[in-house]
This record gives sequence, C-alpha cells and structure tokens, in this order.
Amino acid sequence: MRVLSEGAEAKVYCGRLLGIDAVIKRRERKRYRIAELDSAIRSQRTKSEARMMAAANMGGILAPKVLLVDGFDIYMERVHGRNLASEAAWQENPDRIGKAIEKAGEYLGALHGMDIAHGDFTPANLMIDREGKLWLIDFGLSRATSSVEEKALDLLLMKRSITPQQYRLFIRGYRKGYDGSRMSEERLSEIERRGRYQDRSLAAVK
Amino acid sequence: MAVIGIESSAHTFGVGIVENGKVLSNSKAMFKISDRGIIPMEVADHHAENAGKVIADAIDAAGISAGDLEAVGYTKGPGIGPCLRAGQLAGKAVSSSYGIPLFPVNHGIAHIEIAKGMGKMGDPLVVYVSGGNSQILAMERKPFSHYHVYGETFDIGVGNMLDSFARAAKLNPAWGSTVEKEARGGRYIGMPYTVKGMDFAFSGLLTNAVKALGTNRRKDVAFSLQETAFSMICEAAERALLLTGKKEMLACGGVAQSSRLGEMLESVAGSHGIRFYRAPNEFNADNGAMIAMVAEKMLDSGMRREAPTIDQKFRIDRAEIGWEG
Repeated sequence: MRVLSEGAEAKVYCGRLLGIDAVIKRRERKRYRIAELDSAIRSQRTKSEARMMAAANMGGILAPKVLLVDGFDIYMERVHGRNLASEAAWQENPDRIGKAIEKAGEYLGALHGMDIAHGDFTPANLMIDREGKLWLIDFGLSRATSSVEEKALDLLLMKRSITPQQYRLFIRGYRKGYDGSRMSEERLSEIERRGRYQDRSLAAVK
Repeated sequence: MAVIGIESSAHTFGVGIVENGKVLSNSKAMFKISDRGIIPMEVADHHAENAGKVIADAIDAAGISAGDLEAVGYTKGPGIGPCLRAGQLAGKAVSSSYGIPLFPVNHGIAHIEIAKGMGKMGDPLVVYVSGGNSQILAMERKPFSHYHVYGETFDIGVGNMLDSFARAAKLNPAWGSTVEKEARGGRYIGMPYTVKGMDFAFSGLLTNAVKALGTNRRKDVAFSLQETAFSMICEAAERALLLTGKKEMLACGGVAQSSRLGEMLESVAGSHGIRFYRAPNEFNADNGAMIAMVAEKMLDSGMRREAPTIDQKFRIDRAEIGWEG
C-alpha cells in the first residue's frame, strides 16, 4: 500500500477494496502515550469518525463513503482532487475558490444543524474534485454535540485560516446552511473577547 | 560588560546576570506557598522586601561590581499585577542608580530564549508549559518578527491545573513535582481528553479528576490525570511539528521540569527524527537569568527603547523579536 499522507493522527494509505479505489486511514500506535490511553483514543476516534462520516453523508454533505471499519482502520472511498489549502488551488481560479468557500460554509452549517462539530474545519480538510465539487474530509476530531461553544470553535478555526473577505463568503454560506447560525456567531465574538484569542497572530496560516 | 535581569511575575523574585549570552549568576528568593495558593499582595510584599538582597547576591555571585552593569531588564508581563509592579520598581531603581538603560521583557519570550540559547537551537517548535501558560509556538518573521501561537490552552495552564488538583488531593507543594511522585506506580483510569487541532483544554479533565478522588486510589487518579494532560500536549505538539515542518523541538517553562513530560516529548521528536531539548530545571523555573539574556539581546540589537510599563496580559505573540536567531 502506498502512503498518501501522514498526519499526527493517522497514516493514510491508498489501495483497493473489492475493486473500488479506496483510502485506508490507519491510526497507528503512539509510543509517547501509555498503551491503555493510546488504544482507548484510537478505538474511540476510529468508531466516531466512521459514524460522523456516515451522518454527514446523510445530511447532504459530500464526504467520502465509509466502506469498512476494521480495528483501527477505516476503509473509505477515494476522492481525486485538490486540497483547498494547496497554493495551486488558490492561484488557479480565485472565483472558484470563493464559491468553494461559500459552499464550505454551507457544509459546516449543515453539520452544525445536525449537532455535529467538525473539530478541525480548515482548508486543509476541504477538497475540490475534478468536476469542481467540494468534499469535506477528515472527521477524525468530529463529535456529536449540541454545544454552541464547540460550534463556535469550528468557526474560529476557519476564520483564522482564511482572509476576512473569504470569511464573509464563508459566513454567508454558513447562514444558508444553519438556522442557529446566530448563536454560534455570537459565541464566537464572545470567545474572541475572552482574551486568549484576541488578535492571535495570523501570519503563519498558509 | 554584563546585563542584569529581574523576574517577578509570580511567586519567585529572581535576579540573574549574563555576559555575551553566558549566565554568570542566577539568584532568587521564593515566596513560600501555603495551601492557600498565591495571594498577590503578600507575594508583592515578599518581593519588595527581598529585592535589595537578591540583587546584591546576584552581583556578588557573578563576581562583578555594580559598575560593570550596562543594562537592566525586568518582566513586563504576563503575570500577577502587584508582583510585576515590584519587579518594575526594582528595575527602575537599578536603572537610575547606575545610570543604565532599562528593558521591559516578555516573560514567555525569556523562557524560550534561554532554553534556545542553551540548547543551541536555531528555529525550533516550542512547547511552552507553565502555571499560567500552555502554548505551542514557532518563530514567524511576518508581518513583524514574533513567536506565532500555533496552539494553546482554551482555559487554564497545565501547571495551574496540576496545582489545583494537588490542593484538592491534599498533596504538599511544590505541586507539579508532587503529582509526578504520587503518580508513580499508578494505574490508568479513564479521563476526558480534549484536543482540538493544535489547541487543548484542561478544565474538564481537572473537574473529572477531583471528582474521581472520591472513589479511586489517589495514586491512580494522579497517574491518569498526568498521563492524559501530557498526552494532550504531545498530540498538539506533534500536529504542529508536521504542519510547520520544523526540525527541532524545545520544551520550556515551569512544567518542562517534569521528567515524564520530557520523556514523552522526546518520544514524539524521536519518531520524526528531530532533535529535542529542555534546559536544566533551574532555567525552566522562573528565573532572573532568562530576563537578563533577553535584555542583553535587546541592547545588542539596538532595539527601540520603550516606556517601562507593566502589562498583566502581555501576549507572547505581541512581543517583537528585534534580534537575529
């Protein structure tokens, strides 16, 4: 199996499952943490991730379909396309990026409407496929929760990753996708006022 | 020519002297913390009473005379208001008695810079863990040179979390290290684990651990709390390592004295084939030498002088790094 990417969370391989192009996400053992905690985290996140992906699909969000869950491995459908965080994607067509970002807002709105917080909602986890459709990937930190705070944190993470103009487009989509948008937006401004995040420098966000 | 630094942001009043990046002396007086924690005015009084003596000690120990001093630094923040005020006053007094320039220093930057200098690191990912702060940072040159915060605690610092737990568990101060001792030979029980990307939160973990004291062995709770908290920091650090592609990692701040955390971060670094460093404990605890070290860099690089103020909430990513490396 070829390694597609290696994150802090898991290694992603590509392969085939019953004739279908598949991506295998494998949560590897982390030597720094004790075995009990390690397997508890890996097992809980594997199961939860598969559940969240299925829920997102049901909610009309384009997310890879889960083919199989086996131990600490998730086999999922492979998306061919470009990561929204890659520079090439940005330079190619600014207009298309704007549309994609608004669509991303709708996706996050739809997730929040189902009481799911994504947990790592950034351009690195959005992909545009060859037909120009937007996919949301990596539900590794997603959680079923009605917490306004956690929803606001999703907004915060995205806000920190894009320009203010792009964020306006993003919020437009978010409002379209979620009736309760006002609550999370208000909570976001409250979080920003708490100080810890006040003007956290944006310079290093790629 | 030497530079003197005064640190007073919390319970330590520290005075250190450096020369060309080399530590000549590092003296301190520590307020003895009772089970009531830190009471700002009492600690500030302690600092004011000890200032003269600790400064004289540091000069003596460095084997220099006061006339050899060419600049003085003090902690501008972040920290406890009245304590910072005591250090600021001492700084002003030294500056005017010897007619030398006064440099306000960010406390967190000082922790990072002294460890970076001792570890001979160029551009590390920094894990800064102390009582009030828990952050993952790295140097960023735009729009001005500063340490960018990649991740940090959403609520309390990991050190304060360990301290609060230790008080609830009736362990003796110094708290971080007593939790570590208590944890030896403990068994793991489930605890909430909260990491969001490169950020993390400790208050849920603390509440749960304090509650768990009622029905579990103290040893097991201490062990599980410590393993969970440190694992959270390691996960965030590993994610930041992969994102930034840094080739070195540094731990600094009071909690970096923990040998268990050191071992875990070492393992994270090792798994990516990068170098890890943490300074000797004396320089991870609050100390004056680290303030002197930054003041010397500010002096040598000719950084613009600023008014000698204090700022209790002086964010680390607001502090300009006006020197190279």
